[in-house]
Amino acid sequence: MRVATDIGGTFTDLVYVNENGEIGVAKSHTTPPNFEKGVIDVIEKSGIDQTAIQTFIHGTTVIINALTERKGVKTGLITTKGFRDVLEIARGNRPDLFNVRYQKPVPFVERYLRQEVEERLNYKGEVLTLLNKEQVKEVIAYFQKEEVEAIAISYLHSYVNPVHEIETKELIHELWPEVAVTASHEVTKEWREYERTSTAVFNSYVKPIAASYVDRLHAKLLENHTDSQNYIMQSNGGTTTFNSAKQTPINMVESGPVAGIYGAAVLGDIIGEENIIAFDIGGTTAKCSLINKGEVKVSTDYFIEKNERNAGYPIKVPVVDIVEIGNGGGSIAWIDRAGSLKVGPQSAGALPGPVAYGQGGTEPTTTDANLVTGRLSTENFDYQVDLEKVKSAIKEKVADHFDLSVEDAALGIIRIANSNMLNALKLISVRKGHNPREFSLVAFGGGGSMHATALAKDLGVKKVIVPVASSVFSAWGMLMTDLRHDYIQTYIRRLNQVDLTELNNEWHSLEYQALMQFKEEGLEKSKVLFTRFADIRYLGQEHTVKVPVPNGDWTSETISVVVERFGNLHEQNYTFKLEGTPTEIVSLHLTAFGKVIKPSMKKLEFSGKAEDALKESRPVYFEEQGWMDTKVYHRHLLGKDSKVSGPAIVEETSASTVLYPGQTLSVDEYGNLIIDTGVE
Amino acid sequence: MTQTVKTKVDPFTLEIVKDSLIAIGDEMFIALAKTSMSPIIYEVLDYASGLTDAKGQLLTQGNGVTGFIGMLSDMVKQTLKKFGDGKLKPGDIIIINDSYGGGGSHLSDVGLVLPIFYKGELVAFSANKAHWTEVGGKDPGSYSNDATEIFQEGLQFPCVKLFNEGQINQAIVDIIEANVRFPDLSLGDMWAQVAALKTGEKRVVELCDKHGKDIVLSSIDYLLDHGEELARQELRKLPKGTYETEGFIDDDGFGNGPFKVKVKVTITDEKFIADFRGSHPQVPGPINCSYTALVSAVRAIFLAITNPSQDANDGVFRLLEVITDKGSVLSAKRPAPVSIYWESMQAGADLIWKALAPVVPHRLSAGHLLSVCSVVLSGVHPDTKEPFLIVEPSVGGWGAAEGQDGARGQFCIGDGETYNVPVEVAETRYGVLVDEYSLHTDGAGAGEYIGGAGVVRSYRALTDNQSASITFGRHKFVPWGINGGKDGSANKFYVEKVNGEVDGPYGIYPRYPLNTGDVIKLVTATGGGYGNPFNRPVEKVAKDVKNGYISIEQAHDDYGVIVNPEMFTVEGVTSKRHQGGE
Repeated sequence: MRVATDIGGTFTDLVYVNENGEIGVAKSHTTPPNFEKGVIDVIEKSGIDQTAIQTFIHGTTVIINALTERKGVKTGLITTKGFRDVLEIARGNRPDLFNVRYQKPVPFVERYLRQEVEERLNYKGEVLTLLNKEQVKEVIAYFQKEEVEAIAISYLHSYVNPVHEIETKELIHELWPEVAVTASHEVTKEWREYERTSTAVFNSYVKPIAASYVDRLHAKLLENHTDSQNYIMQSNGGTTTFNSAKQTPINMVESGPVAGIYGAAVLGDIIGEENIIAFDIGGTTAKCSLINKGEVKVSTDYFIEKNERNAGYPIKVPVVDIVEIGNGGGSIAWIDRAGSLKVGPQSAGALPGPVAYGQGGTEPTTTDANLVTGRLSTENFDYQVDLEKVKSAIKEKVADHFDLSVEDAALGIIRIANSNMLNALKLISVRKGHNPREFSLVAFGGGGSMHATALAKDLGVKKVIVPVASSVFSAWGMLMTDLRHDYIQTYIRRLNQVDLTELNNEWHSLEYQALMQFKEEGLEKSKVLFTRFADIRYLGQEHTVKVPVPNGDWTSETISVVVERFGNLHEQNYTFKLEGTPTEIVSLHLTAFGKVIKPSMKKLEFSGKAEDALKESRPVYFEEQGWMDTKVYHRHLLGKDSKVSGPAIVEETSASTVLYPGQTLSVDEYGNLIIDTGVE
Repeated sequence: MTQTVKTKVDPFTLEIVKDSLIAIGDEMFIALAKTSMSPIIYEVLDYASGLTDAKGQLLTQGNGVTGFIGMLSDMVKQTLKKFGDGKLKPGDIIIINDSYGGGGSHLSDVGLVLPIFYKGELVAFSANKAHWTEVGGKDPGSYSNDATEIFQEGLQFPCVKLFNEGQINQAIVDIIEANVRFPDLSLGDMWAQVAALKTGEKRVVELCDKHGKDIVLSSIDYLLDHGEELARQELRKLPKGTYETEGFIDDDGFGNGPFKVKVKVTITDEKFIADFRGSHPQVPGPINCSYTALVSAVRAIFLAITNPSQDANDGVFRLLEVITDKGSVLSAKRPAPVSIYWESMQAGADLIWKALAPVVPHRLSAGHLLSVCSVVLSGVHPDTKEPFLIVEPSVGGWGAAEGQDGARGQFCIGDGETYNVPVEVAETRYGVLVDEYSLHTDGAGAGEYIGGAGVVRSYRALTDNQSASITFGRHKFVPWGINGGKDGSANKFYVEKVNGEVDGPYGIYPRYPLNTGDVIKLVTATGGGYGNPFNRPVEKVAKDVKNGYISIEQAHDDYGVIVNPEMFTVEGVTSKRHQGGE
């Protein structure tokens, strides 16, 4: 049996699949700070035979929580002489342009714990000044005195030649074996010293936390006689072993959210959709990501706490490209100072939650608007809903301001929320040169299926897919993942002057590293698959385009192919290419998959007519037609090939699908809902 | 017809179209950075892009720096003035950088304007303006700190058509190619700008297709009125009255100066008036700024005071009035040189800031480095033997404010979402080794809240015959402290020659020659302090010492705190603090 558990803010989800391909789900409360307890709880609640778990895959928010709540350990930093302030100077940028009281992100290492040693390389990796080991020893002694628990090492140009970082790390191991250490080249081999230093510091900062968490979880599993192969979900959309996760915990920073995106790609592969927009609406945010020709896009342009006000902190590890905005079911509707309606990013959260929960919430939310317009019914809530209270909140806070009816105000909230989400969806599609007509939208999370049909129509997407178990889809995605490691090496060479032998050696060396890592994790060579990318730009540009490039040894013909692919992608992204302008590689990117056996999806065993699944009829308020009598169906009773015409609503546990007039829905052989949005 | 439509549009549609217009501005902005060839554009983000309505009123502007806020509308208005009566056609693109005729800043900032037509009717403009690394002129990098006339500062594009109905005017391209030092960079940037403008055009047309032209036009009015209303509400919260102050600009690069500048700010419920009359007349060196540039700087500080949400459009600025004498250093006339115009335009903004800081403490701070602290370094790369050119601003210290210490190592207010060049990138690309990039903890700017430290950045030349042109203002008149906080320190640079000789400090210096092994040490200002230093809690002072932000002597003398040099614990306070503090 394969089991995936995913820790979320409120709930810990579990999805399993057994040998017959049967899927089961369970949910239990998240239990901070001892998150492993929630994991064991949900396993017990699911009722599965724990000794039968062969593969256990886990997504966790432990790392991101430790970072955002500043719950990591006291960390010291060692840098090249003259550069200890790199962490504080950072890049000097200020997104909040007109704020003369701007405050920079506070460094995670205070200045007295940022220590310098003599050593220096030039940009070619040649040693200009040897490492002063005596100074390293002094720093170690100082850190011991200051009771530091973890150390990060970051020297200039270590991405070309890590020799001094390695020597320093060895010396620390020798003198102080207990302390957690990260050398910057171990977490990223890209240039830009601030970003690399920041990444190394974060890895050290969370390393003891991650180790203790993984060990506790492992012990709990063993206690319950679960002798499984254990994996942790990483931000790159693949998994790694418990042991590797303890070494480079920063790779888990987006452990949970990316699984849903990856799941959408896997689902697409199963049902024959290679172009997908994955769309996830939760309680506080909406997330989306574009999958082009089956490829989930991964980059190292990741930040935490970066927004229009704050420069944030860079983390240069591979993370699935996700656009996230502050619009979820709990997002609050409010009137700004000049009288415009806004929705989010403030959220009512799980507590007090929307007004409908009756837990003390007084601010109208998107969920409340969905209730008032009939998209949700009072029966969809775990709580006793006071509909009049919900209506009066919308009346007082929104409708009265515009002198509108309550239902028009509620619809206004939904439209503004949709407009926010539409801008995010455009950002990843139209604005990147993709035509939405060539993509299908896979909607999941608690609110995905409620808004997806309207959004798809506006965006120009023809088909919406609501997968089985859509509200716990991220955990399902984890079940379907392979082991994965990404190796990114900054390697600046002009393509017309590149030394092919040297370049091929560089690729081989990356592949060798991958094979060694998988070997350590117990995976044989035949199970390893490589995909290569190169980050390329026109000479003189700064930003690069990630270009899929061929495996194997490169020849001069390969170079022409690569240059042409780059030109086409540049044109797709930015509307033009510069024929004849020299091109330059900045980084080589190798993705290595360790293939594991995955369950196949079980097919739906019954078919039938939609009428058999009819639950009720109720009035629903639509944008163009106003109130319409709308049929409501039970999803679990909809058989294979059954068809529903809009207006209609299909309800399942924790999610509802809204079908607009003119849209039609059918159920595919696996039980996924396939919606024709009416877009020509 | 338009009238009736206006009343029929529901408020949510207006809001949605308005948000779409702002999103278009963002998209145009990002597209330009991603494809630009010049570090000054893609790292410093020294450019702006946006949309105006058919009359040239700014609707939305994406900014990398604050200095361009509102300059796009002047380019469009100049375009309308010249080509207004039916001479604009779909597919036209206008090129403009004339500082006195719609350009506003200096010649390096090249603007492009594209009229957007919908079914034959002019509905809006997309426009952008970007700092090209090269536009010709007497010095590499074009902007020069010792030009005496605008003719030395590069090519002038006096609002002419670069594209005629979709056809490029090849003559202009050839002229650019022949007159600039790095034509690939300049023309690469030009194409990036053209692509971004066309993206804006495409999106506006799509918006008209989707919602109808009339609704889009109604939303434009709504957007402008919304901006004005937000600004008006904030204005009403400000203390009414008249606030006067004066200050000095160091020099003009020729040793002339200092130059006195002054302002009288009048705040009423309906108006915010900045009157700079009586400031020094325009000067021989290139620190002069045009009226348009001054207005941009004033707008930036006006936004800092009134509009923290930064969705700026011309509606917001309807309440703002800027008055100057003609031909002053803050409102220069042709052919005055304006290469390093930001020194005076920021001095103008700084005056308003200084005048209002005591009365708007929740929005303003003590004085900061103020100068862009521009560095231009040219030479030959030791390995590739190709010429290189560094054009970059420098980070420095910010002023402290009520409730917070000043930020350390930040770009000045005239910059913005500007990124320093990483040491590893600089050493790869340029013929230099960076000896040091660290905080310059001189302990200036003492206060209950401390002014932020500036930095030291040292470039060691790796080849002979390199040349550095440094423009560091605020070298003589340092950042001011407030409410009892001490002043900060000066921007300056030294040259440490390979023979051991040290030259400096200097503020503004054209073409300083450097040979292999010479080090140019760039040191930026510490910001002003806020409040009496004796009121800084003793534990904080001890921690400052432990962190090396201040020395043990400064803790004693400025803060009156005696700190143990080994353990960094508090051992007591001085009698002076005892009497004067708390």
